[in-house]
Amino acid sequence: MSITFENVEYIYGEETPIAYQALKGVNLHVEKGSFTALIGHTGSGKSTLIQHINALLIPSSGKVTIEDFEITRTKKPQLLKPLRKKAGLVFQFPEYQLFEETIEKDITFGPRNFGVSEEEAKQKARECLLRVGLDESYLERSPFELSGGQKRRVAIAGILAMDPDILVLDEPTAGLDPQGAKDMLDLFKDFQKSGKTVIMVSHDMNHVLKYCDHVIVMNKGQVEKHCRVEDLFKERDYLQQLSIDLPLMTDFIDKLNKNGFHIDHAINNMDDLIKEIGGELHE
Amino acid sequence: MNDIIFGQYLPGNSIMHRLDPRLKIVGLLVLLITIFFDAGFLGYGILALLAIGIVACSSIPLKRIMKAMKPIFFMILFLAVFNLLLIQTGHVIFRFWIFKIYSGAVTQTVYIIIRLILIITLTTTLTATTKPLDLTLGLEHLMKPLHKIGFPTHEVAMMISIALRFIPTLLEETQRIMKAQASRGVDFQEGSLKDKIGAIISLIIPLFISAFQRAEDLANAMESRNYIPGALRTRYHQLSWKGRDTIAALILCTVSMGIFALSLL
Repeated sequence: MSITFENVEYIYGEETPIAYQALKGVNLHVEKGSFTALIGHTGSGKSTLIQHINALLIPSSGKVTIEDFEITRTKKPQLLKPLRKKAGLVFQFPEYQLFEETIEKDITFGPRNFGVSEEEAKQKARECLLRVGLDESYLERSPFELSGGQKRRVAIAGILAMDPDILVLDEPTAGLDPQGAKDMLDLFKDFQKSGKTVIMVSHDMNHVLKYCDHVIVMNKGQVEKHCRVEDLFKERDYLQQLSIDLPLMTDFIDKLNKNGFHIDHAINNMDDLIKEIGGELHE
Repeated sequence: MNDIIFGQYLPGNSIMHRLDPRLKIVGLLVLLITIFFDAGFLGYGILALLAIGIVACSSIPLKRIMKAMKPIFFMILFLAVFNLLLIQTGHVIFRFWIFKIYSGAVTQTVYIIIRLILIITLTTTLTATTKPLDLTLGLEHLMKPLHKIGFPTHEVAMMISIALRFIPTLLEETQRIMKAQASRGVDFQEGSLKDKIGAIISLIIPLFISAFQRAEDLANAMESRNYIPGALRTRYHQLSWKGRDTIAALILCTVSMGIFALSLL
């Protein structure tokens, strides 16, 4: 499912003294099957932008097109409910949305709302729980007995169980330990590999380099840049001006090249880097 | 969700903003009592003039007060209809099918409407011109005499200020959870009663859990900074009684005494 924004503007509290324009003339096209990172400072409009993708927010002007759904100001919100199923949105700290007595009930909550039969939803719940790395013994437990990281997994399983074509994530790794973050990101990568589209808000450039193929830079409510990840990290000065640090690996390659190496700047994993330097890999 | 006007503070620097919160609280109480003395239309005329004066001195846009009236508009309507139909004093001035409307009912109804409008205008003015913190500080001062009989004045004041402080936080949280659940297919607008109840449950439970979590965090943060309930503490912000407070108090006394006298006549 491709995503297109045409001249989208969004104003919070329109026609009140506290009106605030969060999006200014956003034009955007995200290809189906891509893994796109959304970066930018707090207040640059990232969260506002992603809430347009499943029509939680309706543009004040302009048009958002998600495959065959057109979202404009005059569109009735009721017609957009099926869109919520296709574009699963995971908010920051999704563990706060858990509420059912058992994990199984919580995961099936989303699919059931979209009219999936109980049997099928339970089947989905089992699959998705395994995908996020928890076994079936969790199904009958209360979500409130779990640790923070486990709760987050359950919450994400709840979105995956809706079987969305687009997965939108707002800082999914915030507050997770490095291993937990890696597990989550690997999961999203697998999801993308099955042909789905992923959009992820992130502040960690190492994650952006390793997992994403495209990147959107937002600044003051506008899309400043939309390019391939390796192209973005070539522009050290531009990033510095936004006070974004280069990923550790890219920074390291830069330093090597300054001292006489000629290493491909676009390398994004350790194995390739070792080979490029001339080292050997032993399994 | 952001339309809740009643009780919201509106920053400003008007005379009403600068008056001592203690005076404003006591003043409101006195006026609320005065409103219920039956001093005829003359009395309500005087009170209405006073209320207009107070609003004029507070730099609150009239539109805002109108908005504060909105939620209780139906209550006013409801009371008006029942009063008109049920009070049977005076003489019949109007007949309609099986209903008779008496002259006494009309005056009583007009009184009630005026009272409600005055009450809302005055309370809105108080909360719109007084910072929640000043309000609690004022309350704490006013409750001081109760401390002698063992009433935990400081704790109550602290509780009120914490409650006020967390209203916007909880509203924000509510919106966030509503959006998260809407993303999972909950429809907060449409649907049968059963669906609606389900939708509310999916909102209320996470809200309660996070509120309890917040309460616990806050208690820990307070204790780790050595908060002891009732301990003697100094304040950076002191209340001070000024000349304008005395003048306002005198005006207030004159008006309420006057109305009290009128009602006895």
